[in-house]
Amino acid sequence: MAKRNTYNEDETLKQSFNWHDYARLGHYLRPYRGKLALALGSILLGNVALILGPYLTKVAIDTIIPHHDMLALSLLSSVFLITLLVAWACYRYRIWTITEIGQDLLRDMRTDLFTHLQTLPFAYFDSRPHGKILIRVVNYINTLSDLLSNGLINLISDFINLLVTLVFMLAINWRLTLYSLVLLPVLFIWTYVIQVQQQKAFQALSNKQSNLNAFIHEGIAGIKVTQGFAQEANAINAFDAVAEENRVAYMRAVKVQYALWPGVQNIATLTTALIYYIGIQHVGVVVSTGTLIAFLGYITNFWNPVINIGNFYNSLITATAYLERIFETLDEAPEVTDEAGAFTLPPIHGEVAFQDVSFKYAPDEPEILHDVSFHAGAGETIALVGPTGAGKSTIINLLSRFYNVTDGVVAIDGVDISRVTLASLRAQMGVMLQDTFIFSGTILDNIRYGRLDATEEDVIAAAKIARADDFIQTLADGYHTVVQERGVSLSAGQRQLIAFARTLLADPRILILDEATAAIDTHTEQLLQAGLDQLLKGRTSFIVAHRLSTIRRADKILVIDHGRIVESGTHDALMAAHGAYFQLYDAQLRMLQAL
Amino acid sequence: MNPYTWVWPYVRRNRFQLIGATVLIVLNALAIVVAPLLGGMIVDQVIEGGHTERLVPMLAIMIGVTLARTIMRYCYTILFERLGQNALFDIRHDLFAKLQSLDFTFFNTTRTGDIMARLTGDTEAIRHMLCWVSYNAMECVLWFLAAVIVMSVINVPLMIALVVLTPLIGYLTFKMSGQALPVFFNIRQSFARLNTMVEENISGNRVVKAFAREAYEVKKFEKLNRDYKAQNMASATISRRYLPPLDFLASLLTVIVLLLGGGFVIAGRMSLGDLVTFNGFLWMLNQPMRMSGWLINDMQRFAAATVKIRAMMAAKPAITTPAVATPHVMHGAVTFDHVGFAYPDAPATPVLDDINFTVEPGQTMGVLGETGAGKSTLMDLIARFYDPTTGRVLIDGIDAKDWPVHTLRDQITVVMQDLFLFSDTIGDNIRYGNPQADGSFVRQMASIAAADQFIAAMPDGYDTVVGERCVGLSGGQKQRLSLTRALVKDPRILILDDTTSALDMETEAEIQQHLATAAAHKTVFIIASRISSLRHADQIIVLRHGRIVERGTHDTLLAQGGYYAETYQRQLGANEEGGEDNG
Repeated sequence: MAKRNTYNEDETLKQSFNWHDYARLGHYLRPYRGKLALALGSILLGNVALILGPYLTKVAIDTIIPHHDMLALSLLSSVFLITLLVAWACYRYRIWTITEIGQDLLRDMRTDLFTHLQTLPFAYFDSRPHGKILIRVVNYINTLSDLLSNGLINLISDFINLLVTLVFMLAINWRLTLYSLVLLPVLFIWTYVIQVQQQKAFQALSNKQSNLNAFIHEGIAGIKVTQGFAQEANAINAFDAVAEENRVAYMRAVKVQYALWPGVQNIATLTTALIYYIGIQHVGVVVSTGTLIAFLGYITNFWNPVINIGNFYNSLITATAYLERIFETLDEAPEVTDEAGAFTLPPIHGEVAFQDVSFKYAPDEPEILHDVSFHAGAGETIALVGPTGAGKSTIINLLSRFYNVTDGVVAIDGVDISRVTLASLRAQMGVMLQDTFIFSGTILDNIRYGRLDATEEDVIAAAKIARADDFIQTLADGYHTVVQERGVSLSAGQRQLIAFARTLLADPRILILDEATAAIDTHTEQLLQAGLDQLLKGRTSFIVAHRLSTIRRADKILVIDHGRIVESGTHDALMAAHGAYFQLYDAQLRMLQAL
Repeated sequence: MNPYTWVWPYVRRNRFQLIGATVLIVLNALAIVVAPLLGGMIVDQVIEGGHTERLVPMLAIMIGVTLARTIMRYCYTILFERLGQNALFDIRHDLFAKLQSLDFTFFNTTRTGDIMARLTGDTEAIRHMLCWVSYNAMECVLWFLAAVIVMSVINVPLMIALVVLTPLIGYLTFKMSGQALPVFFNIRQSFARLNTMVEENISGNRVVKAFAREAYEVKKFEKLNRDYKAQNMASATISRRYLPPLDFLASLLTVIVLLLGGGFVIAGRMSLGDLVTFNGFLWMLNQPMRMSGWLINDMQRFAAATVKIRAMMAAKPAITTPAVATPHVMHGAVTFDHVGFAYPDAPATPVLDDINFTVEPGQTMGVLGETGAGKSTLMDLIARFYDPTTGRVLIDGIDAKDWPVHTLRDQITVVMQDLFLFSDTIGDNIRYGNPQADGSFVRQMASIAAADQFIAAMPDGYDTVVGERCVGLSGGQKQRLSLTRALVKDPRILILDDTTSALDMETEAEIQQHLATAAAHKTVFIIASRISSLRHADQIIVLRHGRIVERGTHDTLLAQGGYYAETYQRQLGANEEGGEDNG
């Protein structure tokens, strides 16, 4: 089993954000480049008003007002007004388009992440608190919306503004323009210093947020245990500790993040002062009053985009702390995938063969199964018996290809299952697990999960065979009763009956029952027997030991111990052999006779 | 209660930060006036007036003021962040504490993903309100006021010509806020649905894979994902209706200043320098106008986010400690006095009906019955996870409702059917109910529950980290861990709800033997479907459709020839023809 991490353990990042990741981001933007261009166009057009503003003001102050030309002033104002109306229309278009691009991007990325999650092995989900996975799909992605839509477009428009302003400034006075740029290197150094600290701080923060989410998730999922053990006070204390870490990390991060702005602002003021100083030396010589005022207006127009670009960079650094987690999840390799040239497994008869199958979870971990070989004919019932941890569940997991074999071959109807598509393989297998998961929704939908196109009648028929109909009828809304995740208001036995009906409905060719009826009482189990017989009939079945009465009737019993098949055969043959099975059986017989 | 009066107590605890930050904001707004004033003065006095000697001191003031101003602003943004974080911490704390106090009925009807959305996404909107919207709104108001004052000093008619637009802006923002609230509420709802779906997909990943339902899940997800986008687009519809006109009105100020102010200058009623100064202050007037739409948006987002949080905080658990609960040392007598029970969501279908029994301290009671007969519900009533609909549950002769809930749960432990482990070490999980338990006691209890051996055989022994769903453990191992955890808690009343069903009979017998001595003084309830688990109980009841249909001891029940005897025969018979239970 992979090493787990706990809610309060920071996850180490496999790879920090790098330039390659920007290319990946670009990939998400690609489908929207047309829309992005339109949005950009609307911004630029809208910004004409902004750029025209100081120019019109200059014209007014330099020439029109000194010449007392009221008509020209009115004309100029009308032109101004028209540009504002154009800006209105542009702004309107931009809000809509940019929101849409941003939301589309989020949707694409979220779908990719979710789809990818579906391909990840059990080990991925087993090795970390679920809250830590959840936060990546939902919360982290949300943080990117603004950056990728508004932020990006503003960035481009800011660059263009910057260039246009620079051209205007150069056209008015190249000397003053050069003075305006003198302090830029200082700005770059300041930005760099901040960025290094900020990146670290936000990586730490994203970790703490993930931990908090994990704790909250477990706190809710385990609430009954907490209340049952009267540990509410301890849970709250532990929560406070995690929340406190979160608060500290947050404060540290914003303290760095917010330090960028004062630096930029002061540099901008210094530059303005410099222009006043230099400009006034030359007033009347090479610079007119109007020119100086217009120039100062442009300086503001110059610094605004610079500040915006700084802010964008700031948010980008923040976002990378989340992006790298998202990409990390996307890069998580699914252990089991369709191989190149995998084909669809045709409808099977259900003949199963294991040939010298060995398995370990990872190359550096101990081998769990050693050279397991057996054959199951189509329609046979195979029982797996053996002590806890012997490898029974592993055999079953390999059969459904939840893991790939390390050595050897698993074949169904003579076809190596590593060569077929997973979907076509698993669609023909029905696995009933010991831990029955109920989705929030109606009971009907939960049973229908086994076959999505089943009618209500099909569902009820399956529930009747599974002996679940009786108790479902007594529920407030019958099959339409809404149950919550984990089915808390249902007993363990009732949940197993629902899972049983679900599997029955799926009508698989190969059936796997993994300790599936443990929580069902003897009486119901006997009633269920008829249903079970119907379920087993005509399909290959693998049953992990529970009721010996079922095991006895199996066509073949495999006794597993320490990852090997130590015995196999029918009940009678194994009893006659006086081996491990006989001993197991005999011991229990004596237990019962002592009753 | 409106969202602001609700959030105020959380803010008030940080009033010193709030006051400090407010002072800084006011100072900053004053300082911000200086730069344009200086600009005007430079034009009037230095450029037009030729007093070049005044330039350097003026520039020095400009630089000094900017430095002071940016430092102040940095300080108050951080103060607001701290205030927000403190408030958020308290809100989260209260929510989490509330969650601990809510009863099973709440959790049976509320989805995990929904609750998570409250504690994460919704609190984020509150943070944004407290840490960002708050001071931006204050800044805007101050700028606006400062601009009005300074402008009236320069030229009153021109100022009035600008401020005349304000009611129009007020009208637009008012309309916008009314439309934004339901939209943001829908966004929050859609977010919660998305959260729930993903949460269940992750938790149920085994079922998804077992049924090869990945494509179906992705389809389901995409539907919600698209809906979330649609809800966000609905908000864009409102934004695009109101934000551009607000922006237009703000920019219109420049035109008015140019046209009217220019006219004044031409008419000789205003100096050019004053016009330039006036123009320099314009942003202080139009920036608040531009921002107003955004701020209203954010405020309504906040208001929408608090709706569900406030509802959760207002939820009243039915199970509470009475105002006058006498602390009491529990002996462990349990009496059911005409107890009936129906779940609140199905009051017409009683789960338990007229249950009567008494168990003396130290006695063991066995419960047999079919799936869904009401066995687990019966046990939930003892630990007061629910209150009976009719009748009374008495512990030591005192109504369970009169016990402090904490004492009750501290002394009564239910070993539940499905084991939930926290992602922590096995040792810490076992110690969950009794964190102070020392290592030797833990191991001793683990031995009683026949768990010591397999735990010791794990890679890191008791320090092995296991997860929420304890995957990788077999059913039998889970049950033994669950039992160990309950034993370490060392309660007066121990309830074993089908705790040994996945064990082989030998292990079960071994555990029972251990328990006979270890739990000799405890009151023990055993729910089981195997007769072997029940036969030694002091009394046994058989439940059917929520009623006690048989009661007695193993021997008397066998003699009665009812359900119990029938079950016994079945299990024995199954064995004779080839064995019943295995492990």
